[in-house]
Amino acid sequence: MTDVTMIVNGQTRSASVPPETTLLQLLREQFNLTGAKLGCDVGDCGACTVIVDGQAVNACLMLAGQADGRQVLTIEGMASRERLHPIQKTFENSGGLQCGFCGPGVLLSAKALLDENPDPSTQEIRDALSGNLCRCTGYTKMIEAVQEAARLLREESPAQLTHAQT
Amino acid sequence: MDDKTKVLEREQLDIESLRESEVDLRLPAVVPREPYPIETLAPDARQQTRAVGQRATRPDGRLHGLGQTRYIDDLSFPGMLHARIKRAGIASARIKSIDTSAAESMPGVMAVLTGKEIPTNSFGPSFQDQPVLVDDLVFHAGDGVAAVAAVTEQIANEALAKIVVEYEPLPAVLDPVAAMREDSPKVHAPDSNIYATKVIRKGDIEKGFAESDHIFEGRFSTQMIEHVSLEPHAAIADWDANGRLTVWATIGRITLARSDMARTLKLPMSRIRIIGTIVGGNFGGKNEITQEPALALLSKKTGRPVKGVFTRGEEFTSTTTRHPIVMDYKSGVANDGRIIARQIRLVLDGGAYCSWSETTLGKACILAPGPYKIDNVVAEAFVVYTNKTMTGAMRGFGAPQVCFAYESHMDDIAKALGKDPLEIRLLNAFDEGSPSPTGQVLHSVVVKESLRKAADRFGWEPRS
Amino acid sequence: MKRRGRGIACMWYPIGFTVSANPSAATVKVNEDGTATVLTGTVETGQGSLTVLGQIAAEALGIATDDVHVVSADTDTTPMDTGAIASRTTYVTGNAIWLAAEAAKAILFEAAAPILGVKVSQLEAKDRKIQVKNFPQRNVSIGEVAHRSQAVLGQPAIGSASWNPPTVAMDPDTGQGKPFATYVYATQIAEVDVDDETGEVEVLRIAAAHDCGTAINPMLVEGQVEGGISMGVGMALQEEMLFDADGRHINPNLTNYIMPTSLDMPEITVDIVQDFDPTGPFGAKGVGEPTAVPTAAAILNAIHDAVGVRVTSLPATSEKVLAAIKASRAVEQKQIPA
Repeated sequence: MTDVTMIVNGQTRSASVPPETTLLQLLREQFNLTGAKLGCDVGDCGACTVIVDGQAVNACLMLAGQADGRQVLTIEGMASRERLHPIQKTFENSGGLQCGFCGPGVLLSAKALLDENPDPSTQEIRDALSGNLCRCTGYTKMIEAVQEAARLLREESPAQLTHAQT
Repeated sequence: MDDKTKVLEREQLDIESLRESEVDLRLPAVVPREPYPIETLAPDARQQTRAVGQRATRPDGRLHGLGQTRYIDDLSFPGMLHARIKRAGIASARIKSIDTSAAESMPGVMAVLTGKEIPTNSFGPSFQDQPVLVDDLVFHAGDGVAAVAAVTEQIANEALAKIVVEYEPLPAVLDPVAAMREDSPKVHAPDSNIYATKVIRKGDIEKGFAESDHIFEGRFSTQMIEHVSLEPHAAIADWDANGRLTVWATIGRITLARSDMARTLKLPMSRIRIIGTIVGGNFGGKNEITQEPALALLSKKTGRPVKGVFTRGEEFTSTTTRHPIVMDYKSGVANDGRIIARQIRLVLDGGAYCSWSETTLGKACILAPGPYKIDNVVAEAFVVYTNKTMTGAMRGFGAPQVCFAYESHMDDIAKALGKDPLEIRLLNAFDEGSPSPTGQVLHSVVVKESLRKAADRFGWEPRS
Repeated sequence: MKRRGRGIACMWYPIGFTVSANPSAATVKVNEDGTATVLTGTVETGQGSLTVLGQIAAEALGIATDDVHVVSADTDTTPMDTGAIASRTTYVTGNAIWLAAEAAKAILFEAAAPILGVKVSQLEAKDRKIQVKNFPQRNVSIGEVAHRSQAVLGQPAIGSASWNPPTVAMDPDTGQGKPFATYVYATQIAEVDVDDETGEVEVLRIAAAHDCGTAINPMLVEGQVEGGISMGVGMALQEEMLFDADGRHINPNLTNYIMPTSLDMPEITVDIVQDFDPTGPFGAKGVGEPTAVPTAAAILNAIHDAVGVRVTSLPATSEKVLAAIKASRAVEQKQIPA
């Protein structure tokens, strides 16, 4: 058994799991965070995307042990008690999610992009989402939602934008 | 002091010391919950009292964005087991024996199921030609041969490898046109591989061709396609003590699912409850039962809820797909571009089982002439068994295939006659009140409006 | 070298099952405060049907979308439904819900008529009120009426109904008949770039004009068009399930079954064609499947326009397109006089 401790959505969580357990299984089965989905289990579809130490990764390709000691953000950690994350808000307003199964992965890929690049071009958004398969939406409204979320986030913290530019 | 008082004193002592300690007394089974905002104020579009025409946001959209939507695989119940199905891996065979003993004796394996244990081992929306688990003949490589329920999915996977099946390979036929021949191997012997036909006749086709200035012919074909819903097929089955079955399923047709479960399990419908959760994509691929009767029987055998989730591989090998179609078109056209006569022959690859093929056949045949005013039409369609994955309902039921054919054909005609592709379509397209190829008077017809609107938006200018 | 081309495809598509009965049943319950609950046996598979069905019930009752809660997909508690298939939900289930709402509304009108001093036929439901036609100032709130009907008169405002599209069986020899109650029509025009050295096709933009009768929720219609186009792009250029000579699957995985990602999508403009179908709820028809129908045809016609080759089998992979280009060049060269 492997003992793992990590910070998930800002909280310290631990578990003792067989060594071949993936991060996806750990999140879903041990921590009851079922937002990350099992779509293919081999890293082709992106439905399991989570953010580990600031980077969007396929949780099905990472062993639980590899996430030991790291910061993990799942879809459940994006909103707060007070409000939805702007990305969640714009996806809702634009109709960017239909069946919703790919949603958590897409939103986290978008967040990872906007955290690093607050003013992405359409092509940069397409690139960031290219690892997330969606069969329902055709991606069109998703791209609009990410653009709108980027705008809202820039409005919220112009100081951060200035900092990023220097 | 008697024994009872001693026990009470001791218990009180323990509670006191616990209260003083710093041990976290919360039960470990209480699951922490991630915070989310509760907004009771509805977005503007949802508050308007003329509701039709509003760009109203979806309530499930918010839950999706929070990751709170519970799909089948997100549900779990106390004591729940995980099921997996062993796939044949061979396209056509007779099963000589199935030995499940090694799997059954594995620690953690709670039950194994084979086809002969299923009360009525056949289902299908039109012909009941599909077994839940094959027990004599294998019809395609994705057929289910046996099912196991175990305490973890990993153990269930390992158990599959321990099930030993002896096959006698039989000849397989993979090409639908070849399968139409009398000397082809018969998929569901002794019946012909052609399992349904459809014909539409309108006007006088030979006269129409005779009156035409030009005859054009073309053959078009399309491929087998998989729905690839992001959520795989999944279901959970559980019984209560009164012998009442509840199934949570990704099926888009729960009324049909209930009647299929009643039939395969020989149960009255009042003893069956089917609950559809929010499904992660269907597109036609989740419109009939697949593993549900097997899960129900595994649950009955073990007395525990049983969950089955298809792997991505099984989504390709063992769920319905889009019909590949070979389409032959022959059109008689006047000099000005009017289509006088059209003859069409469609051969649909009908896979190993009928599934939604009859519906697909019918729609493809009716739609095949295209949205055009044609006085003389003959459309013949055949659907043929092959030893490949069953073909069923997929977004369009044959329409995307025939549209590819008739619109490619139309452009070929336009090019040969030197006509603009937009103009030739406007010349031939249905008007309000036009008769369809089946003689139906059409209403609310806007195909020309759609042509003009798209052309306008696109910036389609005729080329000189 | 990249060559640009454009291609049109138009189509027609039916709503509902071919001839055979495909009914939907529904129940609409008006709560004592004038909000409502809808029970439907259909299943939400991502297309937004529950939202649209809620809008239909709200429109019939004169209340807002947010006042309606839709309960679905439980054979114990929701009435039968033939299912989320054949693009039938808005049209067939929608009609059932509309009829059920009308039945619930009739009970409300019975309770309201004596209060307003008019006949039932003089009433309408609008803006969360039951009011007299042409005299909106004479009104009672729907909540008051619902409460009165249930708690004073003992008549809870519950309506149930079912609907099935009327069809005529097709003659077995000629196919003549009325297989569907209604059809939708659409056109998609595609612009592509074809690289004549590699055969690669890039779909640049698609203008889609779709008929859905009345668009109950235009945002969801757009979502269906965009999603359908993505399936069409995959069908045209990428997707194929392959079998070996023994009938075993070669690519049962997403690594080798290629389908569109965000990088493959063209720019899409969606126009909803103005139309009203009197047989549908508030004039609506349906849109779920038609959106995936003309895309491949439009793209293949655009390839034909770009490089003058006709690929007649799908998918038009770059290998096929390149092979077709080379073959047509070989033919041309043979035809050039020496």
